[in-house]
Amino acid sequence: MSGAPLLRVRGLEKRFGGVHAVRHVDLDVLPGERRAVLGPNGAGKTTLFGLVSGSIFPSAGTVELFGGDVTNVPESQRTRLGLSRTFQTSRVFGGLTVQDNLYLGALGVRGGRLRPLRTAKDAELRAAGRRGAERVGLGTRLDTLAADLSHGEQRQLEIGLALVAEPRLLMLDEPAAGLSRSERQLVTELLLSLEREVTLVLIEHDMDVALTVAEQVTMMHEGRVVMEGTPAEIRASKLVRDLYLGSAYAA
Amino acid sequence: MSARRAWAATWYGVVAGVLLVAALCPVLFSTYFTSAVAVIVLWTGLAAASLTFLAGYGGMISLAQTALFGVAGFMVAKLSVEQHWNAWLAALAALGVAVGVGLLFGAIASGSEGIYFLMITLAFAMLTYYYFLQAPTFGAHEGINGVMPPKLLGDPVLHPTRIYYAALICCVLIYAGVRYLGRTAFGLTLQGLRDDPVRMSALGYTVRLHRTLAFASAAFIASVAGVLSAWDNTRISPGSIDITRTIDILTVAVIGGLYRLEGAWVGAFIFVMLDTYARGLSDRFETYIGLVFLAIVIVSPDGVTGLARTIDRRIRELTGGGAKPPQSPATPTEGAAA
Repeated sequence: MSGAPLLRVRGLEKRFGGVHAVRHVDLDVLPGERRAVLGPNGAGKTTLFGLVSGSIFPSAGTVELFGGDVTNVPESQRTRLGLSRTFQTSRVFGGLTVQDNLYLGALGVRGGRLRPLRTAKDAELRAAGRRGAERVGLGTRLDTLAADLSHGEQRQLEIGLALVAEPRLLMLDEPAAGLSRSERQLVTELLLSLEREVTLVLIEHDMDVALTVAEQVTMMHEGRVVMEGTPAEIRASKLVRDLYLGSAYAA
Repeated sequence: MSARRAWAATWYGVVAGVLLVAALCPVLFSTYFTSAVAVIVLWTGLAAASLTFLAGYGGMISLAQTALFGVAGFMVAKLSVEQHWNAWLAALAALGVAVGVGLLFGAIASGSEGIYFLMITLAFAMLTYYYFLQAPTFGAHEGINGVMPPKLLGDPVLHPTRIYYAALICCVLIYAGVRYLGRTAFGLTLQGLRDDPVRMSALGYTVRLHRTLAFASAAFIASVAGVLSAWDNTRISPGSIDITRTIDILTVAVIGGLYRLEGAWVGAFIFVMLDTYARGLSDRFETYIGLVFLAIVIVSPDGVTGLARTIDRRIRELTGGGAKPPQSPATPTEGAAA
């Protein structure tokens, strides 16, 4: 692992009208890191994801990706640089098959998005899509419309769409949301199987998933980073217990 | 899965049958039918197809298609009648201008969605209509008369069969072209934008650029229809692109089914048939059209082509196409295996 951070956030602020969603956040993520961002609802985790991925722009502060300032770079270009994200509620293309969904995931970061002809490149992209489908456990569902998939399968496709872009930085927003125990197990195994070339940042409320996958944890509360540490430190922390359960339970 | 394949095969069979009838239309039916109904169905369907393409593939419901149809129609009329250009050259230039206007309209509208997109494109429709209504260079409210198709096609009154086949060829080529485009990088991207533009942006796509180019592609389809209509009618006037015509094209597309390209011509057929024959039955023709429209939208929101699919699904359910599991959970063989 080289020393320079892959993601470097400094003094990041985001206000939505009167709501101060993210307050002066600094964050460094090193190449190969597995980092979980934890915190109760409304802590600013998803807003932070939006600011890093570029779907929203900060009120103040800077975002550096892969060594370059991207604070004012639009989302689609950050994706092409090697950042892929997923969403809390699945955003898959319901009217297209699993295969076509993953084709689009692979095409987005490569040239030729406007190509009005079918070429050999399409076959390569489809092959990449099929590999992605195998990887997230949808190898037998290639011709199913995404709208006809179960909730769990849509979550798998959600991750698959980001993975087929072969990102250097993968940001997952609650990948295990709404999954059954066995499905959570599958997601955990998938995340553990990711190569070290892929740096991982995830938001997750399920502590079993988050603390199994993560090696570093950033704890947020009311828009601020309140603690950073290893999963062991987080498990032992009174602050974390207070934030999640309320201080009444602390005694 | 296999049910979908079977469905697709049936559908292709129907399309092939319709195509055969269409190809033999001047032989099977009267000259009157060919010139007063069939050829109008073709170019009206083509105009509606430009909307169906945008809506079905891109999720953009546009009211500007008649305006783009008009830009091409007026350009081909102006260049061939007043500037005495060769008809083919005039048509080519008209397509170019209309696609250019489509690019401009698309660039402006591509930032909006839903009702706002509808309003912006309605503004384009009104703007274009009033421009042609008032611009003396395009004949103002008179429009331009005496437009002649290329010599190869001849006078549409004397040779209705020729313009009919020209229109049929255009329709078939554009239909096939759009179906092909739907499976390319460009077309699949467009369908991704229809389903979830937010995700497309996160996957690295430039949403506005893509929408703009799709809008220009639809402008091309609408402008082919505009040129064909100007040739077929030998004239064009602002009345051909007023708000009523704009609503007509929307009606045609919705009757046929906004989400299936074939629907545009199905809708045009129903519309033109009613327009031609219901007029003779009663002067309440518009009321009948309204009732038919209402009935179709209530019974099948996806139009006539959607209706076919709905019926198919119902039949499958009634005949128990594997919808319900058998009552007894374990068959003897399963029991033996356990």
